[in-house]
This record gives sequence, C-alpha cells and structure tokens, in this order.
Amino acid sequence: MPYHEFEASKCIPERKQHAVIKGPGEDLSHALPKGYLNTIPGSISERGCAYCGAKHVIGTPMKDVIHISHGPVGCTYDTWQTKRYISDNNNFQLKYTFATDVKEKHIVFGAEPLLKKNIHEAFDAFPEIKRMTIYQTCATALIGDDIDAIAQEVMEERPDVDIFVCNSPGFAGPSQSGGHHKINIAWINQKVGTVEPEITSDYVINYVGEYNIQGDQEVMLDFFNRMGIQVLSTFTGNGSYDGLRAMHRAHLNVLECARSAEYICDELRARYGIPRLDIDGFGFEPLSGSLRKIGLFFGIEDRAEAIIAEETAKWKPQLDWYKERLKGKRVCLWPGGSKLWHWAHVIEEEMGLKVVSVYTKFGHQGDMEKGISRCSEGALAIDDPNELEGLEAIEMLKPDVIFTGKRPGEVAKKAGVPYLNAHGYHNGPYKGYEGWVRFARDIYNAIYSPMHQLSNLDISKDEIPTDNGFLTRKMLSDATLPPEVVNDPILKQYDGKLDPIPDLRAKTYPVFPKKEPAPVAAE
Amino acid sequence: MEDLTKDRVEQLLNYIMKKCLWQFNSRAWDRRKQNAGILGQTAQLLCGETPVHETANDKCYWVDAVLLAREYRARFPWINELSHDEIKALIKALHERLDFLTIDGSLNEELTVQHY
Repeated sequence: MPYHEFEASKCIPERKQHAVIKGPGEDLSHALPKGYLNTIPGSISERGCAYCGAKHVIGTPMKDVIHISHGPVGCTYDTWQTKRYISDNNNFQLKYTFATDVKEKHIVFGAEPLLKKNIHEAFDAFPEIKRMTIYQTCATALIGDDIDAIAQEVMEERPDVDIFVCNSPGFAGPSQSGGHHKINIAWINQKVGTVEPEITSDYVINYVGEYNIQGDQEVMLDFFNRMGIQVLSTFTGNGSYDGLRAMHRAHLNVLECARSAEYICDELRARYGIPRLDIDGFGFEPLSGSLRKIGLFFGIEDRAEAIIAEETAKWKPQLDWYKERLKGKRVCLWPGGSKLWHWAHVIEEEMGLKVVSVYTKFGHQGDMEKGISRCSEGALAIDDPNELEGLEAIEMLKPDVIFTGKRPGEVAKKAGVPYLNAHGYHNGPYKGYEGWVRFARDIYNAIYSPMHQLSNLDISKDEIPTDNGFLTRKMLSDATLPPEVVNDPILKQYDGKLDPIPDLRAKTYPVFPKKEPAPVAAE
Repeated sequence: MEDLTKDRVEQLLNYIMKKCLWQFNSRAWDRRKQNAGILGQTAQLLCGETPVHETANDKCYWVDAVLLAREYRARFPWINELSHDEIKALIKALHERLDFLTIDGSLNEELTVQHY
C-alpha cells in the first residue's frame, strides 16, 4: 500500500505520510495514513476547530436547551445552522443561537459579568427553557474567565435551572475531533447520574453518536419503538438534556458514530458496566444486522425480524431500480469522519457504485483502518486533505460524484463534478430502509442531472447543441440499459413523501407490558 | 500454515474486516479483549457449544459471535464440513491473524494511548 505524494504538496513533504493507495494483496500492516495530527503549516485544511466540534457537532443537537457561546459573536455565527439536526420540539435549538458577544474591552477587563448578564437575559427571554449549555471559546479561555463559577452562581440564584459548561476552546485539539472528546468526557463527569429516569420497558438503551440529521434519529427511534425498546437518551440528536443526565440507567449503549461518541460509551462501560454495541444504521444489510444484534441482546430477535422483512419487501425494489442505473459510477467518498467507513462497502454492494477514494477531515487512524478495510483495491485514502490535493485527486480519479461537505462540495462543482452533502444531506433522512433509497435517489439525481451536464459546457469554446431538445434524467440513465431492466415490472423509482418525518411523529406503537420482577424467595 | 488453511483464514478475515466494527475499538487492550471475546464464542457456537455469558459485556460479545457464526455458515459452506477440532484450529489461526492486523502489526499510533 504505497504512500501517495500529491504534486501540489511536494513543497510540504510531511503530507506524503497522510495519503495511501490501497494496493493489491496489501493490508493495514503495510501502510496507514497518519491522522489526528496538527495540520501542517502551509496546508490549508478544511477542518473545524475544537470549539466547533464540541458545540456544533455534539452539544447543539440537544433540543430543549439554550446553547450559548462565551466569546466573539463570529464563533457562534459560523457554527449556527450549518447542520440540519432537526428536533421534535419545533427545532428550538436550530432557530435560536446565543452568544455573549465579547469585544476588545472585555478581553482587557474580563468578560465574566457579561456572561452572567447574558445567561440571565437568555433565561428571561425563554422562560419555558430551564437548561443551558455554555461553550468556552479561544478568546475567553485565554483571558481566564471562570465559566464554572458563573454558572454555579446562576444556578444558586435560579434553583430551577441547570447549566452544563463545556471547556473546549478552539485551540484545544488538532481539529473538531478534540472537541468531541472534551464534551463527551465533560458530560459524563458533570451530568450523567444526576437524574433518575422512569424505566418503562424491560429493554433500555442509550442511542449514542446519532445527531438526527434531517430525521435520522427519528427513523431509528421508530424501529426501536416497534421493538418495544425504551430509548433512555440519544447522544445527542433530538435528545433532551435531562434524558442525557440519566444515561447511567440504560442496559445497553448502541453506538452509531464511534468517531464522535465512543468516549462516553467507553466511560459508561468502565464506570457503570453498560456494554457498548457498535452498529451501522446505513444500508439494508448493515441495518438489518444491527437490528438483529439489538434484538438478540434482549431476547426479542423476532421483533427485529418482523421489521426487517416488512421494510425490505417495501423498499428493496426501489433501491434496486437505482442500483441498475448507478452501477460502475465512480465516487469520491469524502466526508468528515465516520461516514467513510459507514458507507464505503455498502454503497458498492447495494448501489453498485465504485469508491475510488476515501478521505477524512478529522478522523483518526482508527477511522482509516475501518475505511481502508472496507473500500476496494485501488482506492486513494487521504487524511486532512487541502483544497489543491482535492482538486488533484478529482483530476486523477475522474469521479462521477463526490460525497462531501458544503465547502469542498462547491470546489467540486467548479471542477465540473456534482456533489452530495455527506454531512447535512441533500434530501434526507438517509438512515433506515426508506432513507437508504432516498440517498440512492439523490445520487441518481446528481449524476444524471441534465442541468449539470449543460453546466459543463464552456460557452467560450464548446459548441452548444441546439438540436437536442428536451432531456430528462431518465432519458440519460436508461439510454444504455437493456429493455428487460427498463421495463422490469418489479423495480420502481422512489415513491415516498417529500418529508417522511411528520408521519413518524404521529405514529402510535404497540404496548409491550413490562415483565413483573421475579418474586423474591422466602428465607 | 498449509495453503488451504491460509486461504480459508483469509476468507474469514476478509469478512470481519469488511463487515464488522468490533475489532476496531480504539485501544490495543480493548481490541485484544474484543477479538478474544467474540472469536472465542464464535468458535464455541460453530462447534455446537453454548457459550456462558456472565456479564453484560460477555453478552455483547455473544451477540456479535452469533451473527458472525451465522454468516460464516451461510457464506462459507465448507465450514459446516469441518470437525470441531478443525474449526477450533481454524479460528485460532484467524484470531492470531486478526490480532496481528488490528493490534500487534497495526500502524495505528493511538492504540497505546493511556486514556480513551
């Protein structure tokens, strides 16, 4: 597995240790990109900071909370509404963002009084919200503001509120991943075990590392509800603050994004003896295996099998419609962290795509181990790429589509390649069986967009066809397909709703009575 | 190791590396426990034994072992023809190879970090 040196980064020789090509017959012991290291000076990284990783990725998806940044307003502005982690309480955490608006004078004279004033103002403005998280930023960390002390003062003055302090300023790690770590540990240290929940089921889980992007959590919650499983907390998408204080009472931690949230699972295992079960919620086969595992753990596998059979029968013909049209299309799988391994193998197996490259902005070497193991030979794996390397890889690999974030996505579009938003999604949710079909639909729409094909013509030199007339995606995708596929009576395009989440929120579920505790034997 | 065994170990290993996540916990000590816990119970299940799980963690290993044993039987029918001794020898060789790839021969520099 040779290390790969980009032409654009020859002047930064350290970068050669951050990219490898998966060669035939080679394995992880031959080469592995470096990871989770400080970005090399001269390389313009696409990473976020540790404050952003703590607040924007993990803290803010909590739904019933005032999330306030103690720092310049820019820190908050740049981390507001850039991800679509919706919630079932009218998206309070997305609609409102709070900052103490620290200025130069506060840097000189201190910003603690400003913080206290802001906390009171926020609670006064939203009297129905009694929970708050406060995030340290670089500026207030450097002047030594004692956020914990202020939070304690406010909690004494307002006994009905509870405040969590996250001390993860932007410089506290090489990337947003440093912030994931800090908030995981801070939450278990400060808050877990401070609320006793009502247990309503014999089967109780924490669903960890799930951020409810466009409703992903609610899709999975539907499956868990159908199985009679009580989800005590979700860390953290659509999760409630007090639910997350009660994590210590779960029987099992079901872990989705190990990159951002394995720390709290590992600590819950060490401190409370709650085991950690890693799952894959994306793709028919991985999701089915995940539901089976959870079912097996609780002795209710039959409930999982019923869901798998029903959902597969309903959605597989639609997935296969897209698979026929996506076969062999080349993909650069360039997400932030965990999706490089959640998706690498299953988009090849279930959608027929060919992954020609994986990259991670903030992943660790463990993520690369997973991703490289799952992608096929010949794939180029890159850690923390800079923009020039991304462009060079596009030129070299000639992908049909790129799955990445908004910023590199726009760069890809300028290079003539369509992209899908791997973080906030285009038209999610992408989890669950229906979600996986929605993802395939979005990929199909991106690759076969007539508009995209037209946009690649250069009016300064290309001849613009004027006799083509009307084009649709289907005219493009079906042109080379055999008639038996085009006319297959079973396969069909996605026929779900524009937004499937409202129906899920309105659903009712069967009641699975809790077993009576075994009688205690008389002495 | 003879060629046939080597080939079979690689088939079983490839399945784990492509489809599973449990072998990639973030620290070496954790990976060693995961590999031993899950592959140990997988060998028992493939030999028709009933693993005993005394702790919640053991039960979690058992869950992954059940799924793995099922997939091995379905995807690699030759495994159903092996004697119990042959299965145990095969899983032992698989265990050594998995430990090498994920722990002893791993280039992951975070495996020995003291904390999570």
